[in-house]
Amino acid sequence: MECIYHRVYSVSEFSIVSNFYVEMSIVKPEDEWIACPSCDQLFAIGQMQHGETARCCSCNHLLSTYRNKPYEQVVAYSISGLIFLTLACSNPFMSFKSSGLESVMSLPQAISQIRGEGMWDLALLVACFIMIIPGIVLVLAMFLGLSLALRWRNHWAKEVAKVIFYLQTWSMVEVFFIGVLVSLFKIAHMATVGIGLAFWSYAAFAIFFTLALSRLDTYQTWKRLEELEV
Amino acid sequence: MKRITAMSRGLASCHLCQKVASSQLHHCPRCGTALHLRKRDSINRTLALLLTACVLYVPANVYPIMITDQLSSSLESTILGGVVLLIQMDSIPVAAIIFIASVMVPIGKLLALFYLCWTVKRGSSVSPRQRSVAYRVTELIGKWSMIDVFVVSILVALVHIGKVLVIRPGIASIAFATLVIVTMIAAEGFDPRLIWDKEEEQYD
Repeated sequence: MECIYHRVYSVSEFSIVSNFYVEMSIVKPEDEWIACPSCDQLFAIGQMQHGETARCCSCNHLLSTYRNKPYEQVVAYSISGLIFLTLACSNPFMSFKSSGLESVMSLPQAISQIRGEGMWDLALLVACFIMIIPGIVLVLAMFLGLSLALRWRNHWAKEVAKVIFYLQTWSMVEVFFIGVLVSLFKIAHMATVGIGLAFWSYAAFAIFFTLALSRLDTYQTWKRLEELEV
Repeated sequence: MKRITAMSRGLASCHLCQKVASSQLHHCPRCGTALHLRKRDSINRTLALLLTACVLYVPANVYPIMITDQLSSSLESTILGGVVLLIQMDSIPVAAIIFIASVMVPIGKLLALFYLCWTVKRGSSVSPRQRSVAYRVTELIGKWSMIDVFVVSILVALVHIGKVLVIRPGIASIAFATLVIVTMIAAEGFDPRLIWDKEEEQYD
């Protein structure tokens, strides 16, 4: 594999690329190969320091971010997120008052209301995107975080990681929250609109969800999973 | 600057776990996913899904996305009709959000992906760095078009006061949601590394 090193980069050539030792003399035996998913450029990547990010030098794609103790954080954030998701599902989300009549909506009620209008497919899609998929991802992230933080060897951790990385594109927590804000503006002039506990819980859930997933770096997570197996 | 790609060294990186392994292997040694040098039939799959999205674009815009029943009158509004209504109500920022999310983003995404597929097929040498950025933006903004579908869902769930005021979802809402999902799958199926493959031939 010697041919891979033949082009010599000096580390200082890319100041934002803090951890690339693609130089023959400094490629260490413990370094790993990583190919940029966006342009296929090959790099040797070494042990990174806390807060460092590695970027591809030809297309600037973010390859990896390293943090100290990320899996403990994943566990903490996903437990908090799950608590807020439970609160968001079991409390009134918004209320709408017009001409003396009031309607209160919670998230599960919203889904059954859409289904009641004969749009079961839309109800199913919305339920999946805003509650079911993010919920599953968080439960799995908690499990994966626990196994990685405690170095607990088990056969499911890899499968769990696969499901998380497949599903995370399909959760639309933050999009839904912006949608909620837009609809608040849309009906604010029609009637009195009240905001319930679930609204704030969902906002907190969205934040913790994003935080938990941001700590699961693809490269670092899989490297750790591989280390656990050996 | 010379590029050294994994492919040129007979290596393939797993599209799920990013493990770099010999391209002779059929499955990733780390996570067991099928291993390919490039995503299979990437361009054709993306083009097929883009055509599906174009077909879905018609019902999504022609049919009403939301139906407002107020006492005896019933108002059907399409996506663009909703934007016009918001402008008339002087909520310009909200109108702008809806317009960007449900009109500009889907069209921009379709055009960008068609353009990327076309340049890759033609072997164009238009700055791969810029095209890479275009792809990344396309991938990132894809799901934000769902805003309008969520707005309709919330209004449907919230606004139902006896028979006085009821909002019902229109058939366009499901067409539009499907459109967004199809374009998301199309963006995911496109392999951005194809943009750079031509570049390599030039330098090697």
